[in-house]
Amino acid sequence: MTAGKFRDRIRTSIQDEALQAALDGNAERRVQGSKAAFASLPDHQPRRQRAHAIRNEVIEHLDEYLERFIKQVKNNGMIVHRAEDAAVAINIFLEIARSHNAKLVAKSKSMVSEEINFNHALEAAGLTPVETDLGEYIVQLRGERPSHIITPAVHLRRHEVGALFHEKLGIPYTEDIPILTNTARKVLREIFLTADIGMSGVNFGVAETGTLCIVTNEGNGRMVTTVPPVHVALMGMERLVPNLDDLALFLSLLPRSATAQKLSVYTNLIHGPRRGNDPEGPRERHLILLDNGRSQLRNSPLKEALLCIRCGACLNACPVFREIGGHGYVGVDGSPAPYPGPIGSVLSPGLFGSLEFGHLAQASSLCGACREACPVDIDLPGLLLRVRAGVAINSNNKDGVGVPAPLKTGLQIFRKVADKPRLFGLLQRSAGLGSRLISLRSNWMHLPDFSGWGFSKDLPRPALKPFRNRWVDLEHEEPGKIERKKLPPVKIETIPTKLIDLEDQFMDELKALGGECHPCKPSELTERILALLQARGIGKVMVDKKAGETLSGSNLELVHQPDPTCRGGVTRVAAGLADTGSLLVTAGEGELLSASLLAEVHIAILNRSDLHASLPDVLNTKIVRQAASAVIISGPSRTADIEMTLTIGVHGPGELIVLLVDDSAPAMIK
Amino acid sequence: MPETVQLMITCLVDTFFPEVGEAMVKVLERAGVQVEFPSEQTCCGQPAFNAGLRSEARPLAEHTIRVFEATGGYIIIPSGSCAVMLRQGYLELFADDPPWLERANRLANRSFEFTEYLVDHLGITDLGASWSGKLTYHASCHLLRGLGVDRQPRLLLSRVQGAEVVELPHVEECCGFGGVFSVEHPELSAEMLKRKISNLESTQAPTLVVCDSGCLMNIQGGLKRMKRAQKVVHIAEVLAHQENNR
Repeated sequence: MTAGKFRDRIRTSIQDEALQAALDGNAERRVQGSKAAFASLPDHQPRRQRAHAIRNEVIEHLDEYLERFIKQVKNNGMIVHRAEDAAVAINIFLEIARSHNAKLVAKSKSMVSEEINFNHALEAAGLTPVETDLGEYIVQLRGERPSHIITPAVHLRRHEVGALFHEKLGIPYTEDIPILTNTARKVLREIFLTADIGMSGVNFGVAETGTLCIVTNEGNGRMVTTVPPVHVALMGMERLVPNLDDLALFLSLLPRSATAQKLSVYTNLIHGPRRGNDPEGPRERHLILLDNGRSQLRNSPLKEALLCIRCGACLNACPVFREIGGHGYVGVDGSPAPYPGPIGSVLSPGLFGSLEFGHLAQASSLCGACREACPVDIDLPGLLLRVRAGVAINSNNKDGVGVPAPLKTGLQIFRKVADKPRLFGLLQRSAGLGSRLISLRSNWMHLPDFSGWGFSKDLPRPALKPFRNRWVDLEHEEPGKIERKKLPPVKIETIPTKLIDLEDQFMDELKALGGECHPCKPSELTERILALLQARGIGKVMVDKKAGETLSGSNLELVHQPDPTCRGGVTRVAAGLADTGSLLVTAGEGELLSASLLAEVHIAILNRSDLHASLPDVLNTKIVRQAASAVIISGPSRTADIEMTLTIGVHGPGELIVLLVDDSAPAMIK
Repeated sequence: MPETVQLMITCLVDTFFPEVGEAMVKVLERAGVQVEFPSEQTCCGQPAFNAGLRSEARPLAEHTIRVFEATGGYIIIPSGSCAVMLRQGYLELFADDPPWLERANRLANRSFEFTEYLVDHLGITDLGASWSGKLTYHASCHLLRGLGVDRQPRLLLSRVQGAEVVELPHVEECCGFGGVFSVEHPELSAEMLKRKISNLESTQAPTLVVCDSGCLMNIQGGLKRMKRAQKVVHIAEVLAHQENNR
């Protein structure tokens, strides 16, 4: 087996200056950002261990968790399909599309769909899949695959996106990221509104409640699961957590690891299709559970790779990813590996075989930065070593997968020598002498490039007298007497508990996210809303039932249905979360999710008595469990898909204003 | 009675940097420990193990276990990487072979990396060493992330008389050695090494201290090729050094 195409790819990637600049930016910003985000989670190491244990439990008993999950999802009114491989999954989807006479498919980001080459298959069947995550849309326009699990266009600089949009979308060339983002927003808004099917991935499935959890920042995940008449979710069958309390734990880890956020802007919790008198939501929801090699991976020594929650942190931390980017990881035939980075170098051979992808595992110095960054503590260096040892499928039961033949021979000879101490010593001394012939004066030898080592560094001459020979004549000192004192164990810093004013915390957090919060008295509420809308020249707003009551009698045109022509949306929200500045909204009769999604400006009314400390306080509650879908909103919609430059306002509202109604005494918590 | 320890010299120190071994013996003896050197030892098998050639790694691991089983006391290793091999790699290598696993476990429980032994086991941080000038420290990957050893070498260096220890930026980033990786993927290794060297240059320290001769060979080899004057030394050489004893 040769990995010549991989080596070529490495060389061209290293020489690509624009790529190198993009990857350096990614490594530096992401690693720093994630560190800062975890600073707000002082117990993050114990959480990480708990997360590992929970995922391990799920993978150990996957059949039971799947059975419970599927039963619940069906009870919730969704249609469940199981697909053993890519072809079956695609056929299931095409069957659904045919039954609805569907042509246009709006997609939010899904690595599983990349894994099965979904877009290509749909196009071949005459359908039009459109990626709606900004980064994913960019790579689709370029005819590329994503180069990162989280930020698909991380390999590109703004000038490349500018040129692409000029060419494909006909706008004047610009490097202005907000203009580029807004262009994509306009184009994709049409797609959301006219798509026949909305297609999404799934971040977590919750076994106990049948919840599908999908997190996005731009709002496209909400759009494709809310606006089109049919929603199809595609999910790797291993992505389960036992219950909603566990989900809260994972939601404290995933966004921090992925994008350095306490929570993603939109955390969607989906339970089923539109019910009875709901004003919105798809009439039909499907879930396709994909195996595609996972069962067999689960029965292999690479099982631990199934714990992965696809946060991309190992990519950002990896010094090799930093050099070659996601497109650098290619199979023996030069085609891109299904998953990039350290986890990809385990998953790709683990799912699709060593012959094709085993060599990727050799491209690691085993430095362990990936494991350190992993929020579920997957032993990635250990798994890479196992891939190298030939445990993945199609390795022909041979070890040393991906080792070039000369190196293999060298190591075999070395073993034969090192097995025999006397021979080893003899050869050491001969090498010492021999090296003096290569390099007469210097202690360092300049070996040719093809030796590998000689490519960028000199090699020391072996000593004329190795240590084993020096030991014999070594002068020993009398044992010294140095004072000994054992060190105390490392102290783990604890953060002193202090009283936190929920209201202050909520306001600070929301502000940090780019939202606004205004405390107000119940009697002022209507007047404040009218002033906010008037200042923005908005006369027509989407409202839910309760907000409609608050605003009845005003001059505003109130709309109780999804209406993309409304620039404003006003809703009463069910709860606020102080430590993340988040809001909880739910679907249902009298509710209107679209008001917080389709509008440019979302004004939320939150009662102070509905403020809670943090996510675990609201996640496992009746209001969430019983809603066909619920969303936790953390700030205005955002993206950082172009050069990791934060841009506010993508598919969801660009402005989020919370009116915090003073209906009770301030709450303090420890 | 002074404690007796077994020196596991590692094939790199033995072959390329014997002076590191001499310094280590000096330091251990100064610390009141009697050092023995089992002369049948060769290589722990890590190069083959890391390449995935477990069939080649295994005979060397068995050999190493046999050699040290015949001795008593702790096994002291001047390399975080080889210590990880003994403590973790062998357990993986013999996972399916209970009798050998048992023997590997006993060996693992006797193994210490050099600075870990001095600080955690002996409780010694000041060895009476002195050094004039600036030093900076590179945290080797397997030492730092494999063994969790970081404060030990830093404490030892902080007690060296006269040394000004400055922090290396991005200290925890890999230098690009990675054993067989540096030969198999020279282009990647070169890029990682360049970054390490540019971070080293930013400290303006003339001397870089490491706890692993793999990193030593890699970084010093790069500096030589780039015709730079900085020197990379093993921590044992710093701890053995006494300015007034020249």
